[in-house]
Amino acid sequence: MSGAAAIVRDLPPLLWSGTVSGCLYGVGALGLVMVFKSSRVVNFSHGNLACLGAFVVYGLSSGTLLSLSWESAVALALGIVAAVSASSYAAIAPIVFKSDLASTIVTLGVGLILQGAVQLVFGADIVNLDLPVPRFGLSLAGIRVTSYDLAVLATTLIVVGGLFVIIERTKIGVAFRAVSTNPFACEVCGLNLRVVHLFSWLAGAVLGLVAALLIVPTTFLSSTTVPSFMLTAFTAAVVGGFSSLPGAAIGGILIGIATNLFSFYVSPEFMNSFLLAVILLTLNFFPNGLLERAVGGRV
Amino acid sequence: MRFGFVALAAVLMLAPLIAGGFLLYSLSLCLANALAVLSVSVLVRYGGEVSIGHGFFVAVGAYTVAIMEHQLGLSVLAGAPVAVVLGGIAGFVFAFPSRRLSGIYFAVATMALALALPEILIGFEKITGGFEGLYIALDLIPGVSKAVQRYYVDLAVLGLACLALAQFRHSRQGMALLMARAQPRAAEAMGITISWARISIFTLSAALASLAGALLGFSSSTVSPNSFTFWTGVFLLVGSVVSLNGLSLPAALVGGAFITLVPTYLAQAGDWVPILYGIALIAVTLIANAGDLRRFLPGGRR
Repeated sequence: MSGAAAIVRDLPPLLWSGTVSGCLYGVGALGLVMVFKSSRVVNFSHGNLACLGAFVVYGLSSGTLLSLSWESAVALALGIVAAVSASSYAAIAPIVFKSDLASTIVTLGVGLILQGAVQLVFGADIVNLDLPVPRFGLSLAGIRVTSYDLAVLATTLIVVGGLFVIIERTKIGVAFRAVSTNPFACEVCGLNLRVVHLFSWLAGAVLGLVAALLIVPTTFLSSTTVPSFMLTAFTAAVVGGFSSLPGAAIGGILIGIATNLFSFYVSPEFMNSFLLAVILLTLNFFPNGLLERAVGGRV
Repeated sequence: MRFGFVALAAVLMLAPLIAGGFLLYSLSLCLANALAVLSVSVLVRYGGEVSIGHGFFVAVGAYTVAIMEHQLGLSVLAGAPVAVVLGGIAGFVFAFPSRRLSGIYFAVATMALALALPEILIGFEKITGGFEGLYIALDLIPGVSKAVQRYYVDLAVLGLACLALAQFRHSRQGMALLMARAQPRAAEAMGITISWARISIFTLSAALASLAGALLGFSSSTVSPNSFTFWTGVFLLVGSVVSLNGLSLPAALVGGAFITLVPTYLAQAGDWVPILYGIALIAVTLIANAGDLRRFLPGGRR
């Protein structure tokens, strides 16, 4: 009986915090799926690029390199991340239509370079990087809701909503949907595939940076935390089907809740093994993602 | 060609007469890593898959040898065959779920495998020795100096593996796997099950990686989570790409030497190593895949 009472007491906060971090996994996964849908490349540099962006924000706002305001540091970091993402797309541009596996290897190379760059400039330091939001918290039906949670939810809604509007309403968004459905037909119709690819790579980089900046306050920032956070985003993308945008978002929330429950009830030390098991089980039983039936495999 | 091969074999056989101490130790590690690189290349060549998680299977092999010595008192002679079997089993279990999927999902799964490795090694510290790892002290051939026997054992196993792969290339099974990769539909029509072809090549590759791990443990006489991180598998892929995924002895040696000697002799340049590897990975992949580079020159397009 006390076991049931403990579950009733523990479960709502676990579900809540799982949903909050799940939103971020979803945002990270959206970046991967955007890139994959348009250019058929799994971007292994996603996590390293987001890590670089977060470190740039830290370096520019903490006084390590400069002491700018948080907002201008983020603006500069967005510029840098976009530039790096565009140049990594430029690197795979000659082979992107020939071999998706070779392009994937090149993204690993980009990831290695970014990892090395972060270690060169910032060392193996472990630092804190908070969000500039006022701290407050309130209790709702036994769940503690903090200002951080609300900031995460608001940002996720704005970012995902903005992405949705761009994809549904703008010209580039329509082109993106067309390219992800049938690139050959698009080329026949005179659409420039490179522009669409570049759009998705830039969008992916921005989504990655947003996710990294929002996740870092809950842990800390080092040259390894963000890339391993991104493994969770990869898992979310696999669970969602890797080529479905709503799937990525919902997969993120599912994974957020699942990892939270796993680390509370089983063991926080075996988190990556748990994710590995989730990936293998998903690939075995739902090769197209859990949500293939529910949402459909399209945008 | 034949003369070059004889010369290479002679140099490899006679190297311990000239090299000594640390250099000989590094060369033994080169040979063990060359076999590990070869296992990744086998997967790329026959399976068309990219794995960044082969560090896991290398660790399986190395820890098998170490654990068998600690728990049962057996040397690498008994450890290596067990390592091959365990590595094969691990590869089968891992490859089975993604048997029907494209290589991209597979690459993501190997990334999870690579990230899960350190926490598994540390988590089961009763058997694996946790952070400190385990020592491997038993000799294979009693009475021969450690450095020399490590070198020759590694060389012999690597040479045999290359010969076996050359045979495999012309065997029925090897042909079937190549066909399954190059012409999946035709292969299905010939009665080759694609999913089984994928599973069997991954199992073979994992077993080979595990054998390399057994050698690596034997030659470095220690296994610890420090030597098997997330990056182990990525570096093995770097070695494979740098050797153009070749399955010959010289190609494997180039790959093994690249990933062994660069970090050893550029130790003071620590953080530059990933950058260097990344540049090598991009440059080699682009050059190998871009085809005729002349089409990038003005007026060179035909």
